[in-house]
Amino acid sequence: MTAVPHPSAPQPERQVEPRIGARAVCEGLVREGVTTIFGYPGGTVLPIYDVLREFPLRHILVRHEQGGAHAADGFSRATGGVGVAIATSGPGAINLVTGLATAMMDSVPMVAITGNVPRALLGKDAFQETDIVGIALPVTKFATVVMDPDEVPFAVAEAFEIARSGRPGPVLLDFPKDVLQEETRVPHPEPYELRLPGLLRPVRGDVPEADELTEMIAAAERPLILSGHGVQIADATDLLSQVAERSEIPVAHTLLGIGNIDETHRLSAGYAGMHGWMHVNKMIQQCDLLIGIGCRYDDRITGKTSTFAPNAKIVHVDVDRSEIGKNVRTDLGIVADAGDLLAALLRRLPQSEPRTEWMAQLASWREVSEARSWHGSGAWREGRLSADYVVDQIGEATDHQATLVSDVGQNQMWAARYFGFRKPFHHLSSGGLGTMGYAVPAAMGAALGAPERETWAVVGDGGFQMTMQELATLVQDQIPVRIAVLNNHRLGMIRQWQEIIYDENYHSAELLGPDLVRLCEAYGIPAWRATRPDEVAGVIAEARKAPGPALIDFHLDEAQNVYPMMLPGKGLSDMVEGAAE
Amino acid sequence: MAARQTRPAGEADAIHRRHVVSALVVDRPGTLNRVSGLLRARSFNIESLTVGTTHEPGHSRMTIAIRGDDGHLRQVLAQLERLIEVLDVTDLTGRPHLELELVLVELTPPRGTADKRELEGVLASAGGEILTRDASVWRARLTAAPDAINRALEALRSHGLRRLVRAGAVAMAADSSSDIENGATPE
Ligand SMILES: Cc1ncc(C[n+]2csc(CCOP(=O)(O)OP(=O)(O)O)c2C)c(N)n1
Ligand SMILES: [Mg+2]
Repeated sequence: MTAVPHPSAPQPERQVEPRIGARAVCEGLVREGVTTIFGYPGGTVLPIYDVLREFPLRHILVRHEQGGAHAADGFSRATGGVGVAIATSGPGAINLVTGLATAMMDSVPMVAITGNVPRALLGKDAFQETDIVGIALPVTKFATVVMDPDEVPFAVAEAFEIARSGRPGPVLLDFPKDVLQEETRVPHPEPYELRLPGLLRPVRGDVPEADELTEMIAAAERPLILSGHGVQIADATDLLSQVAERSEIPVAHTLLGIGNIDETHRLSAGYAGMHGWMHVNKMIQQCDLLIGIGCRYDDRITGKTSTFAPNAKIVHVDVDRSEIGKNVRTDLGIVADAGDLLAALLRRLPQSEPRTEWMAQLASWREVSEARSWHGSGAWREGRLSADYVVDQIGEATDHQATLVSDVGQNQMWAARYFGFRKPFHHLSSGGLGTMGYAVPAAMGAALGAPERETWAVVGDGGFQMTMQELATLVQDQIPVRIAVLNNHRLGMIRQWQEIIYDENYHSAELLGPDLVRLCEAYGIPAWRATRPDEVAGVIAEARKAPGPALIDFHLDEAQNVYPMMLPGKGLSDMVEGAAE
Repeated sequence: MAARQTRPAGEADAIHRRHVVSALVVDRPGTLNRVSGLLRARSFNIESLTVGTTHEPGHSRMTIAIRGDDGHLRQVLAQLERLIEVLDVTDLTGRPHLELELVLVELTPPRGTADKRELEGVLASAGGEILTRDASVWRARLTAAPDAINRALEALRSHGLRRLVRAGAVAMAADSSSDIENGATPE
């Protein structure tokens, strides 16, 4: 295939003062509203570092490029903006990949900038050369090498547009070093000048299919909304509550749908899925109309698809057409922005009577399922430190207003179940990829993006050890992240699977960790340890007073499991419950 | 845009068959990689994939022949459509379209007139023509729809077929209202 002349080929009347590609990159970032970037220098990106001081861009020097990518992701998720990460060629670029894949799976807008070897050396196995675009293709929404300084202004503007439009995702721009060093006179494009014919943009405005959905709602006796991340991406959480109130339909949420509705709202059903609340899963199995909005019906929600929501007509609303019908049978699929669909429903739905019977059913199931969980069981009153109590106490202490970034494993499920979320953009987690090591760096980005909120990372001892080098970044930049390590001295979720599924054949589930309090001392981070329930509230209060980062090492009961649990290959009606305490 | 009664991928009653897909794409390095990578990630085996420029500068058209379940494929095509490099994707299967393939073959020359006449008949059945002939080898071209090509190649096995090069299918929608060359998405 031959190369197309880039649309940015300079038109004489629109030339600007020449500046090098590196400056054009930074100008582009500033024009996109970027204030903070997470990066790590190296030979091929030094032209950018050489001019960085000239721009109002705060550069956070991370300790590993994976941390930079997660921080950019956390910045995006907490703010609804587009986070930026920078890495050098070769190893630096490759270290971004886990973070790109994490963002891709969770539809997080992000722009990654990498340097590469000069154009003349591309493809010659030059020092630190890697085909990062080739590597990144399947884990990005878009990735490209910018081969001409004249392309830089368009490339940067288009990258941001691609990252945030429609279904968002990460974009990678790879710049050969000499492209950053050579001059261009091409100006930055205006939004209307962008040439992105292949970019799918949702049709905005009224959604005619809402007619049919309105009729389905009118005919339903036991409707349920299952709300996902798409509701927050569309910034439509208020509309969601309004639709729920108008139609008197309870609202369940997925892991990334946490915050779609205040958990204390009378119509909030709760967290659904593999480790979701039993009462919510029962509702999914019993409802006669399931309205999925901005969710993927992924396997952590559905379990065995053939037994999923057997009594329901299934509606699937998503901005991405390729999601509809991908995983579950769909009676009505609607391709639309979640906010547009909800607004369209509000225009059509009459005020419904309370669904007394259905809500009473929910209440009685809820009573049973809450009593069966550790939370309801009161195990913590018997002197054992249980994770749910710790998470609950963080929620209480912060009045449920903190940004909570969870890692992956049991800690993630405890955070999802017990914090008590009230607002959107306050819960961040790697839902789709399940990336251990996400929490601390992502919390770093979240704290910088939303400094008005207190930021907590809830992380297992395993995941903490994957990216704990970012402690130094937290200190150097005095980023006030409070880290709650839920320390069970185990890869807890692995231990749980081996206990329940592999006949207690434990292998590699036990892991040694450092003395976290002394580790923090070495970094100059105030730290506490708690081993008993009566210590929990006190250490949380102390940690909240720290001006910069702080850490609490919560020594948990080592055998605590997350219940209920849907076993692999099983369905939502077939969950393992913990022994009632 | 309502999608009705879609079935999840992999359901038992899904129809597994050959599909011919036409995709209008942006002509730049990486596009082919991105398209084939997506199909690979979903474990589709590509029967053939051709790419060529179009009458519009900067656009290429791909014809992809592929086997798969209807529902599964429909979902993958929606994923293809989502790629920034892809402007339009149309599954031509089940709608009027033209499909042709070019094949070059190398043959041991026929021995005797009867053999030669039969060979010419086979070639004619697939839009064929002999391009070069000398004492030791003949080379010919076939241009026809895949079925005719397959039948002719099968017949050529008993007529000294020694080597062949297939170009892969090229296809074009042939509805009266076809407007896909301009990137419009027929629904
Ligand atoms: C990078 C990565 N490697 C492996 C896994 C598989 N995995 C999922 S949960 C888990 C255990 C996590 O242990 P820990 O971080 O201590 O959290 P806990 O479950 O004990 O709360 C592992 C190994 C993963 N999700 N991510
Ligand atoms: Mg652990």
